Amino acid sequence: MKAFRTLLFTEMKLSLRGMDMLIFAIFMPIITMVILGILYGSKPAFEGADYTFVAQSFGAVSAIAICAGGVMGLPLVISDYREKKILKRYKVTPSSPVLLLIVQVAVYAIYAIVSMLLVWAVSAVFFDFRIAGKLPQYLGAFFLVMLSMFSIGMLVGGVSKDSKMAGILASVLYFPMLLLSGTTIPYEIMPAPLRAAADIMPLTQGIKLLKASSLGLPMENVWLSVIVMVVLAVLCIALSVRFFKWE
Amino acid sequence: METVIQAENLRKSYGTRKVLENFSLTLGRGEVLGLIGANGAGKSTAIECMLGTKTMDSGEVRILGFDPKKDRKKLFEKVGVQFQEANYPDKIKTRELCEATSSLYREPSDYRMLLQQFGLEDKQSALISTLSGGEKQRLFIVLSLIPNPDVVFLDELTTGLDPRARKNVWSFLTDLKAKGLTIVLTSHFMDEVENLCDRIIILKDGQCVFEGTVPNAVAVSPFDKFEDAYLWYTEEEVKQ
Repeated sequence: MKAFRTLLFTEMKLSLRGMDMLIFAIFMPIITMVILGILYGSKPAFEGADYTFVAQSFGAVSAIAICAGGVMGLPLVISDYREKKILKRYKVTPSSPVLLLIVQVAVYAIYAIVSMLLVWAVSAVFFDFRIAGKLPQYLGAFFLVMLSMFSIGMLVGGVSKDSKMAGILASVLYFPMLLLSGTTIPYEIMPAPLRAAADIMPLTQGIKLLKASSLGLPMENVWLSVIVMVVLAVLCIALSVRFFKWE
Repeated sequence: METVIQAENLRKSYGTRKVLENFSLTLGRGEVLGLIGANGAGKSTAIECMLGTKTMDSGEVRILGFDPKKDRKKLFEKVGVQFQEANYPDKIKTRELCEATSSLYREPSDYRMLLQQFGLEDKQSALISTLSGGEKQRLFIVLSLIPNPDVVFLDELTTGLDPRARKNVWSFLTDLKAKGLTIVLTSHFMDEVENLCDRIIILKDGQCVFEGTVPNAVAVSPFDKFEDAYLWYTEEEVKQ
């Protein structure tokens, strides 16, 4: 436990020193939320909707940090630590490289949670947002999406042959999902063909789940998304465990 | 004398290339062993097979009575390791790496004392990436001593150190040896090996071509100086 606390504190400091997660996981979601709020104010999401555009966007924007940490942050740090033989070094201590991986997951989970809370606070204070659905349901969805995205990142970082490869794969996953899954550009304003493309992305399914749970829409409509998230998580975790390269 | 390291017939090959053959070793408490040989002769492989970070094809190892693979957690409370390559994250400071390393052990030594002994006390808040080669090397030795170990493995211990820093490291290791620390080191500096090592193993293409003391190695060779003897052992193609 002492090791976990010390390492978490150290790795968090290192990550903050790097600045990129601060920008992509904390500032960017807040700015996105503010811009959407200014553009659409408290207008209804569509004619006759009983929730605002901002409320509709909350679920999506709250997933930006999950995406940044899961498919960008995690794979990069894991492949970097493998390449620098830091994971190997942990094998000649009473601890284990697994501890270091758990610490990294905790670091990115902290970013995701803090980011979600800040986006929530901004939406609530400036744009009159309330979570209309059941809170436990939204939080459950949030952690399920996090589990699923983080397991993708763990797999990418764990099996890429070097950090260059991990960087390429992370970019291929991150940028399309950031732009098209609805985290930044609202899914609802996309033309139909683009939506069809977006639907393939795992994060789009995750965001459907987050939206339904935060808006209090019937969860029956998003069962498919739940299944996609669970299957993806199980698959990626199993593959990571089987094929993870320690050096 | 109490046996600290016992290795028997370690073998390791990659495909058809044999990188280590029949490596055996018995080392007692307070003894210093030097593993020497050209780059690629199998020094690091021998160390990694002993530590269990490489899986060997056959052979058996006991360190402090433990199997390095099965009893990993118990064993590495008491074993310090400095690998050849640097292993630390970017943007980490000396103090942070020392604290993180200390947190992994139940009874670590005080890293501040070690930093002081190695002349690094004023580098605590420095980013490791800004340290000189010699300072980094000294820091890695400090890290390997943080567990308060009974055995240390030091791969290329003094590479990159200036002569004065090397002498400091020697005298510190000599003190530790007097207190019962067992040391396995690899080195390319023959003066260092002569000074520190009770015994040496010379490796060539994965094979052990000499095992014994430095005076022994010189006596068996046609030369008077250890450095010449070493070159003779490692260059001679066929030897009787």
